[in-house]
Amino acid sequence: MQETELHDLSDDADYAASQLQGSASMMRSDSISKQSSSSDSDGAEIVYSKDNVTIHPTQFASERIGGRLKLIKQGSSLFMSWIPYKGQSSNARVSEKDRNLYTIRAVPFTEVRSIRRHTPALGWQYIIVVLSSGLAFPPLYFYNGGVKEFLATIKQHVFIVRSSEDANAFLVNDFQNPLQKTLSSLELPRAVSVAIEPSTSFSAGESPSNENQQRIDGGFHNESSSISQYNAKQRQKVHDPRDLSIQVLEKFSLVTKFARETTSQLFRESHGNGYGAIERRNHDQSYFDYPERVSSVKENVPDEIPVPSDPLEDHLIQASILVKQKISCLKHNHVEEAATNLGTFELISCKEVDKLTLVWGKPRQPPLGSEEWFTFLDSEGRIVDSKALRRRVFYGGVEHGLRKEVWALLLGYHSFDSTYAEREYLRSIKKSEYETIKIQWQSISPEQAKRFTKFRERKGLIEKDVVRTDRSFSFYDGDDNTNVNLLRDILLTYSFYNFDLGYCQGMSDLLSPILFVMEDESESFWCFVALMERLGPNFNRDQNGMHSQLFALCKLVELLDSPLHNYFKQNDCLNYFFCFRWILIQFKREFEYEKTMRLWEVLWTHYLSEHLHLYVCVAILKRYRNKIMGEQMDFDPLLKFINELSGRIDLDSILRDAEALCICAGENGAACIPPGTHLHCLLMVYYCTLNKMTSCKCGPDSGHDVFVLKSIGRYLQLLCFVIAGFSKPSY
Amino acid sequence: MSYAYLFKYIIIGDTGVGKSCLLLQFTDKRFQPVHDLTIGVEFGARMITIDNKPIKLQIWDTAGQESFRSITRSYYRGAAGALLVYDITRRETFNHLASWLEDARQHANANMTIMLIGNKCDLAHRRAVSTEEGEQFAKEHGLIFMEASAKTAQNVEEAFIKTAATIYKKIQDGVFDVSNESYGIKVGYGGIPGPSGGRDGGSAQGGGCCS
Repeated sequence: MQETELHDLSDDADYAASQLQGSASMMRSDSISKQSSSSDSDGAEIVYSKDNVTIHPTQFASERIGGRLKLIKQGSSLFMSWIPYKGQSSNARVSEKDRNLYTIRAVPFTEVRSIRRHTPALGWQYIIVVLSSGLAFPPLYFYNGGVKEFLATIKQHVFIVRSSEDANAFLVNDFQNPLQKTLSSLELPRAVSVAIEPSTSFSAGESPSNENQQRIDGGFHNESSSISQYNAKQRQKVHDPRDLSIQVLEKFSLVTKFARETTSQLFRESHGNGYGAIERRNHDQSYFDYPERVSSVKENVPDEIPVPSDPLEDHLIQASILVKQKISCLKHNHVEEAATNLGTFELISCKEVDKLTLVWGKPRQPPLGSEEWFTFLDSEGRIVDSKALRRRVFYGGVEHGLRKEVWALLLGYHSFDSTYAEREYLRSIKKSEYETIKIQWQSISPEQAKRFTKFRERKGLIEKDVVRTDRSFSFYDGDDNTNVNLLRDILLTYSFYNFDLGYCQGMSDLLSPILFVMEDESESFWCFVALMERLGPNFNRDQNGMHSQLFALCKLVELLDSPLHNYFKQNDCLNYFFCFRWILIQFKREFEYEKTMRLWEVLWTHYLSEHLHLYVCVAILKRYRNKIMGEQMDFDPLLKFINELSGRIDLDSILRDAEALCICAGENGAACIPPGTHLHCLLMVYYCTLNKMTSCKCGPDSGHDVFVLKSIGRYLQLLCFVIAGFSKPSY
Repeated sequence: MSYAYLFKYIIIGDTGVGKSCLLLQFTDKRFQPVHDLTIGVEFGARMITIDNKPIKLQIWDTAGQESFRSITRSYYRGAAGALLVYDITRRETFNHLASWLEDARQHANANMTIMLIGNKCDLAHRRAVSTEEGEQFAKEHGLIFMEASAKTAQNVEEAFIKTAATIYKKIQDGVFDVSNESYGIKVGYGGIPGPSGGRDGGSAQGGGCCS
């Protein structure tokens, strides 16, 4: 494609002229609609406009969405917008709502980190715009050329520099010198080196235009309010490092694209998994719109406070937005339009609604009973199809009487392909092995203990804790309860079996239901050992296991609910410490005993994800997101609120939500969970150092170091995310 | 219920010294020997009256185990008062006070009022730390000191209230800018403006108090 070199505004002349008369609202009045507008009292001007800039949501030519790309200058700020043409496509597949979804409404260049130009040998030139938040817009294809001119125009107004590594990559904005230094000293691959000196002055723009109202959803009419909002955003970004290499950011764009494609595939999948449309329609607690409603009788926390959400921030999670749109439409079944966060969308066809099945959490089933249990076993007791069993338990749990047998399998103490006889044999072997370990501490004489501080401390701690574990539960109540003594013995034995990990508070909470179910000391011990194989890192002395879990949770919320993520970010809650107890003891304190056991067996199936507990966290947070944001909770009230949810969460609906979220997030979700890489360790080092630094009373001087450190951390985080994204675990 | 001020308290100290029991005794006036160990943090609240003014205490009861310290540190933020608790029958809980104090000094507001409590004073026959040692430590570090018993309720009420009275006096003396919530103090509806005066809503005087 030949690129137009000239400053091509001619195609806008008629259009601009047609806009001379006023129209106040521009909300959703997509640019091509011949609206008139008032004079540009706020001094906005279009400095670049290009038609037939198109995005390709899918590989199908019929689903391309054409639109107009514009650069708008307002005061000293430059904005970019891309508004799709209305009703241009004859293909019904690209609905108005799709077009709206991709609309780029006046993004200030202060939020743009980089632009990369792609010039394929065949086909159109396109650009990928990456925001400083790390999010990327879909590639914009210039059917009429104009990329060079686009970049040239930007250059006139904003500080932009070509990457030294890649002639097609352009970095926008104020790069921080010290940071660059730090990055280059770290010799991180492909870190960009750029000149410093953020530009704030602009050359005078070209001919004024009257199109100012095409700006941010009309927000700039009320200049003071929108500007102050904008300034507030700017302030938040003061510490936002500009340290990322183009390459990393582009990976993000791929991830975004991948998310989108996965989701569209999801919707195109044929239905027919046994859950009919009637069930779905009757399901009045639709998953994605629950923030807008009071979700269950049990939960008396109202959720109705409206919370604004910023569509510009939602690009990474278009997957879930799509879902949201569709379900909102379902709710408004007989209305022509459905209002959502992103605007108003036309009603979608019932055909599309039927395709929703896949992203619903399936109805919970009754627990697996013994009759059905035997159908999973062959004559010698092997589990014929372990996946089917895990699936069955995932959707319904197991009856209490079967737990003893099933838990040992789910936890991996017994293998699925073991026979009755083999399991029996293992039990006896393991029993004597347990006794051997137990005798190690039992044989410590008082004299020896006197000289064994670590042992004394450990024993003392365990003894103090077992008498504070589930004592109101009949199995553990009363004086001199033998089960409490068993808890002590098992925990102390475990602290010898795994002397490095030792004992940490929370372990007794995890052991308690196991002992209650297994009713046998040695069996409980080995099941606990198996559980600790999974949860052990949570109890590391330096808490790095917990920090990495909380970090993963943070990434998942970012993926699945970016407005909520941004809210937490603004309120300094990204450490997610308010979810600490949930994760450490796997919601043990959030549900009653029986429900906890149900939840655990579901988590242990590792059916959809071995990280389902994180999706459970997201599900609960999403359920209360509107309350959290509506009441402007910051760290203290949020922590208190989360604590007080204990006993008020409906397990079944949360599990359905978690399942749906897990499916929605798909591999992108899995990618959020940091693998145990070296990089991950680096990240932890960063966290610890940062904690230390920010926690000391920092003078104005140390603030700089913290900033640099934060920046490096951000780099590592993103890198981690990207690397994880490309080593997709499969289930 | 309206209050003149809300004070955030944090209870810290080694595991098993009776932090949760002190809280329960103060808020519910009962002693519960069997309760679950604290994971993360638990909350309690009670209204008290100082100088005829209703004051709400919001109390954060933290987990004591060493490995949870990194999490516990985030709870100090914005606490007006702290109860630093040790167990008079366990010497090591007294020995660890310095490290708790260091945490508090690092992560809490410099003006936070700290009350040192030697708990379980009903178990005098098992005493491992003398009252004088407690007093001495408090004196050296500028803390208020009391021995108390969550079991018998001895001095529990007094400890919480004395801490609040100290904070209240600091407000009266103008040590705090009560409009700045990072001091752990919120002015309620019945709030009496601080000595700096005239801080009714709306007139946001943008004093450059924060860095």
